[in-house]
Amino acid sequence: MAQVGGNPVAARAAAGPYVEGRDVEFAYPKGPRVLQGLSLRVERGRLACLLGPNGSGKTTLLRILVGLLAPSKGEVRLAGIRLADYPRGALARRVAYVPQETLAAVGFTVLETVLMGRSPHTGALGFESARDWYAAREALRLTDADAFADRGLEELSGGERQRVIIARALAQEPDVMLLDEPTSFLDIRHQHAIYGLLRRLVKEREITVVCVSHDVNLAAAYADDLVLVSHGRVAAAGKPDEVIRPEVLSPVYETPVEVRRDDATGRPYLLPRPPG
Amino acid sequence: MTPRPFTVGGYVLSIATWLSLWFGVAVVAVVVGGRLWAWDTRLQMENVLWLRLEWVATASVVGAALALAGLAFQALLRNPLAEPYILGVSGGAALAFILSSLFLSATLAPVFGFVGALATVAIVYAIAQRRGRLEPYTLLLTGVIINAFYAAAIMLVTVLVRPEQRGDIAVWMMGNIGAFGPQWGLVKVVGGLAAGAAILFALLAKGFNLVAVGEDTAGALGVPVERLRIITFVVASLVTGASVALVGPIGFVGLICPHLLRMILGPDHRRLVPAAFFFGATFLVLADLLACLWEGASDRALPVGVLTAMCGVPFFIYLLRMRWRRSAEIR
Amino acid sequence: MRCRVVHLVAAFLPVFFLAGCDKGAPPAAPAAKPLRILSLTPNITEILFAMGLGDKVVGRSTYCNYPAEAAALPAVGDTMQVGLEKIIRLEPTIAFMVTRRDDVPKRLEGLGIRTVKLQSDRMDQALESIRTIGRETGRPEAAQALIDRIETDLAAVRRRVAGLPCPKVLFAFPMTVGSSRIMVAGRGTFVDELLTTAGAENAYPEKADWPTVGPQQVIAMAPDVVIINATGEDAPPDRVEAIRQAWQSLTSVPAVARGRVHILTETFLTIPGPRVGLAARLLAATIHPELRPEPGASGAGWHGHASEPAAEAAGDAQCESLPPLPRRARIALSGCEGGRP
Repeated sequence: MAQVGGNPVAARAAAGPYVEGRDVEFAYPKGPRVLQGLSLRVERGRLACLLGPNGSGKTTLLRILVGLLAPSKGEVRLAGIRLADYPRGALARRVAYVPQETLAAVGFTVLETVLMGRSPHTGALGFESARDWYAAREALRLTDADAFADRGLEELSGGERQRVIIARALAQEPDVMLLDEPTSFLDIRHQHAIYGLLRRLVKEREITVVCVSHDVNLAAAYADDLVLVSHGRVAAAGKPDEVIRPEVLSPVYETPVEVRRDDATGRPYLLPRPPG
Repeated sequence: MTPRPFTVGGYVLSIATWLSLWFGVAVVAVVVGGRLWAWDTRLQMENVLWLRLEWVATASVVGAALALAGLAFQALLRNPLAEPYILGVSGGAALAFILSSLFLSATLAPVFGFVGALATVAIVYAIAQRRGRLEPYTLLLTGVIINAFYAAAIMLVTVLVRPEQRGDIAVWMMGNIGAFGPQWGLVKVVGGLAAGAAILFALLAKGFNLVAVGEDTAGALGVPVERLRIITFVVASLVTGASVALVGPIGFVGLICPHLLRMILGPDHRRLVPAAFFFGATFLVLADLLACLWEGASDRALPVGVLTAMCGVPFFIYLLRMRWRRSAEIR
Repeated sequence: MRCRVVHLVAAFLPVFFLAGCDKGAPPAAPAAKPLRILSLTPNITEILFAMGLGDKVVGRSTYCNYPAEAAALPAVGDTMQVGLEKIIRLEPTIAFMVTRRDDVPKRLEGLGIRTVKLQSDRMDQALESIRTIGRETGRPEAAQALIDRIETDLAAVRRRVAGLPCPKVLFAFPMTVGSSRIMVAGRGTFVDELLTTAGAENAYPEKADWPTVGPQQVIAMAPDVVIINATGEDAPPDRVEAIRQAWQSLTSVPAVARGRVHILTETFLTIPGPRVGLAARLLAATIHPELRPEPGASGAGWHGHASEPAAEAAGDAQCESLPPLPRRARIALSGCEGGRP
């Protein structure tokens, strides 16, 4: 299978974590510190999920990893190179971002929206090649959205729109995908379809995925690594077995929990036991 | 609507089509507007030919400039009601032009008008920026306030001058494409600015699309959002200011042309930018031709801005209703 | 004339009923009260001074700046807006203005000042206005003398140009900035009458007050001579140069081709007052360059292209009280010397 995005030799040559944040601190201007001294390491070709209660700083961390925000202190590295040292276009060709909310732009069709993901690859005036169209169509197929390729974005439901946004990120043919709660509006079938797709991309194309997840069990079922974020710090990080433990999760979520094991997959899952 | 890839071939073809349309309309405007067949001597016909050529050239560059600026401001401010004069640049150009033509030098008035536009750009930027960034909402509000200030200033000038000068001010404020004497120099300046803006916006068109979808999305896809905003703001304002300095504030073109084009071509700015350039030119040439025919028939002046609004509004309403009906159908 | 008296009386009736008896508007016939005149239009001011009533004028409009003694008087506004406190302080007994509006006259009447509205769109109206002023101020003889003088002046000009070819002349104002049209004198205006007196035919073919025309229409009219009256802000050299260049591009216009576009900066050309004789003479001299000074004479000056101020200052038997023809009054344009194919 053709290598997608980036220079494979250079990428593999970079020893160490592929996506890395070192002592990242961040505060909005005149605001409290959202992230305090957070360090993160994700190896190449792994699916990592960021977990944590609301307001713990997950989304902010993700936006810093994309390069939309600059950390007040600390640095972020991609394949060993500092994010700030990447030229903007090169970064956009390697990193795809799926934000939590998107404006439905007036008038663009689904296909046009997905083709926007190709813009880091199209030239100055934005001419599209057959390759761009192939990538877009393929992305729609993978997200099960090719049925409404020609429909307007505003005609779709929230869940369908989310799949289109993911398809757009796929069309970018990136090395790294950063997703912010990509399945929050999806039904069960599509939730698992998307996470399954992410797993396949990680395994087959060696894409590195960092995904903020609101559903602990979904993350536990599919992720290679979990990072638990609380109050702007990393409370725990490691494989699902290491993180999905009552003594780890209860203090962070401030709710008693029980952990069981799914015999079919071997993965742990969480049963919240709120008092009363 | 079957999707069409955006390719070099298609681009060149569409530019050629728009160019031909403009050329055809321009030729008709020159010949019919000047009634070139009706003159007694050849010298008269030549004089009128050059007059009409300059008129049509002025209308073309101003129409192109205003349509481009309108499109750019609508993209920048993410507001379909945006048009070139919304950020106060025309007010600044108009005030400087009027003050210059009344009190300083009438021949240098266009230069002062352009300087006024530049000054306004700086003022609006200084007020609206926050830590060097331009937010659409703040920019819009600042523009509204600046516009109100300039409107009041112009009203003050109108009250303070002699009655016969008031009429002149009022006529100029309606926008007027031709002048009594040749003004090729100014036409070339505005034409150069409009062409430069067209090329620049064509390169930024991808960015406009992405920013319309979302600021974060655009940034993540490699668009330098802040730089895009500032460049767009400055260039669109300059080209607007130059137009106003040349022909006065001709309204409605910058609002209606982008919307008409969106109804035909869709929201993709890569297609809209070159179309706006040529269609804006064609639109204003056509409006000027109609105004010229009216003048010939009734022996009274008809400001082009009045014509564009009066004819543009019903046509726009018709198109709007047609579009509503179409989208109500099940695709 | 009777209508005018009726109108004036009718204008006073509401004052009697509404303003109360204290105001007591003065009667139409001149009373023993001293005359204090307010003039709100420039040509009326000139007429008053020419009639010898200059010392009775207490207030003028902002635009009345001739003669010099008038410019020294306090300015109270114009026919559209007046400063009422200023006027009250001046205690005028009668006000003259050229207007068709009612608002300012009514306000003045409300102050107890007899207000006389006059018209001067045409020469006959202007002369009638002089008669009215004579009647209102009790100086009908001075009025008639002025009228006679004016008519004699004009008759002299007509005699001088009789038999000369009658070119098509366009009398225009400079273009306004940003507009493609210029204002010209239509037929039936008093400037048009001056043109006729000066032995010319108005190039503008229709009866109209002050119509505007665009360059295409000027080409169609094909005037033989163009006279541009550039006064005030249009007079400085860079403006004159701009006007010259604008006209030079219209090479098919006979006036441009033959170098017969003249820019005159005198302000009295459009004032229907005592200086119309001067205006007619200036126009005639401009339009008919073949006119030569009359030999011998009392120095009555008819001028070709070069002005002779000395000859002029020698005086003119018919125009004693009128100022001499200003020197360097004209700037002739040269057209395309190289000629066009």
